[in-house]
Amino acid sequence: MQNNRKETLLQNLKKSTAEWTSGQGSLSDIVISSRIRLARNMEGIPFPSRADKAELKNIFELSKQVVDKSSLFRDSNLLLLDELSSLENQFLVEKHLISIYHAREKHLYRGCVFNQKETLSIMINEEDHFRIQYLLSGLQLNKIWEFINQIDDEIGKKVTYAFSEKEGYLTSCPTNVGTGLRASVMLHLPALVMVNRVNDVLKAISKIGYVVRGFYGEGTEVMGNLFQVSNQITLGLSEEEIIDNLEKVNQQIISQEQKMRKNLLSESKSQLEDQVWRAYGILSNARIISSAETMKLLSKLRFGVELGIISYPGLGTINKLMLLIQPAYLQILSGKELSPYDRDLQRAILIRNKITYSRERMCI
Amino acid sequence: MLCQICKKKEATITIAKVVGEQKTEFHLCKDCAAVFSDKISIFPLPQFNINDLLAGLLKAIDLYNKEEGIVPAKEIKCKNCGLTYEEFKQSGKLGCSVCYHDFRDQLTPLLRRLYGSSEHIGKIPRRARGKLNKIKKIKQLRKELREVVIKEEYEKAAKIRDEILKLEGVLKK
Repeated sequence: MQNNRKETLLQNLKKSTAEWTSGQGSLSDIVISSRIRLARNMEGIPFPSRADKAELKNIFELSKQVVDKSSLFRDSNLLLLDELSSLENQFLVEKHLISIYHAREKHLYRGCVFNQKETLSIMINEEDHFRIQYLLSGLQLNKIWEFINQIDDEIGKKVTYAFSEKEGYLTSCPTNVGTGLRASVMLHLPALVMVNRVNDVLKAISKIGYVVRGFYGEGTEVMGNLFQVSNQITLGLSEEEIIDNLEKVNQQIISQEQKMRKNLLSESKSQLEDQVWRAYGILSNARIISSAETMKLLSKLRFGVELGIISYPGLGTINKLMLLIQPAYLQILSGKELSPYDRDLQRAILIRNKITYSRERMCI
Repeated sequence: MLCQICKKKEATITIAKVVGEQKTEFHLCKDCAAVFSDKISIFPLPQFNINDLLAGLLKAIDLYNKEEGIVPAKEIKCKNCGLTYEEFKQSGKLGCSVCYHDFRDQLTPLLRRLYGSSEHIGKIPRRARGKLNKIKKIKQLRKELREVVIKEEYEKAAKIRDEILKLEGVLKK
């Protein structure tokens, strides 16, 4: 019974697409998605790294009760990650539902709650007992705060949070203490990269308390010119201030990117067009392609769509492709494990299909 | 010379990375160089690691405490989960919520250095909100109690006393 449920959930996840990949929302030509996560722990139980089996189980069971009973979690499900293969765990990482750390952690009763639109995910027994995250497409941090604040209150009805009047929400790592809030915005910055300015911009913001990470968060590389900008400060500021400051910093970066795009278009339009159409040419014709090359070319193609050089595929299709071509996702879609070479073959087929389909639809 | 990555095979390839005016050389074997050259073609992020920063700050605070003659933090241990301060320094992770209390002398300067502040001013969880309000209420009732006793209004005083006892009972639970 339990196994059936797990299989069904995974099957659904295989087919579903997350709201944040929709290419909608404010400033979606530069902002892929916005995210807020809250780190929370239960009072009286050691943090996951020092909790014993019974304590971890306790947290997991409690999460189950919250999800089962509250109407706020009507369309949410809870997966026990211990039951999943490492490939399936990696698949959830690629979907941005769990962190790499959560997928690789060895202790028992690791869980993940997620809703149907994949806007909400709660990691159970990660570094903290609860890591609540909410994701939306485009720049929508205030709206996310509204939603996640409610979810936090709902869990707080059942769970007494570890909290001190002085230090705020207590977390396993002191770098999260206080609000436990990390907000981040995923930006596509091809123009700043192209004119070699991105390093200056990122250096400047790291000096004022912001951090830049890659597509899959902490410790991951930048691919496809995608940069995740997030706050470092979690204590001494209110949630609203943290969010507001982050939004302002991002608006600065966005306006720099917009300026560079304008310059590039007026000064080197032909070169840009050439690069975009070449990327389109390779993506729609390649027979063998690595994920690194695909991400590079998809970024070029996305740039072309953003600048109006090419009208298909839509931003949503490109965002989705960036996930579908990842190694674990590709293997889950194929229903079996694939060697790196076979993945490169499968990847090329998948991209050709998606891109041809979107072109045909445009021509009708 | 051995390869700097695998430290097993002979380094036969030198890769020079030039960022601005800074040049860094890597001596690698053929296999590691192949992997490495793939990686450096990807855009390098400004190197900033919060855990390194944390470790650095912790060391600085230890040194400062030593000079001030404060008990070496090494011997401190969390009464609840048993985590030693030394273990915390190595992993950068605390063991439970009580650690924040038991290591407060060490943590407060750390938090101030990390954040420029060590006081939370954000959201308060609903449950704690109730508790904090009750503590406030008890303080206020005690004040009232003193006043009515002075006025010799004993009936009122008994009522207030019962209310305080009730609230304290709820808090204990």
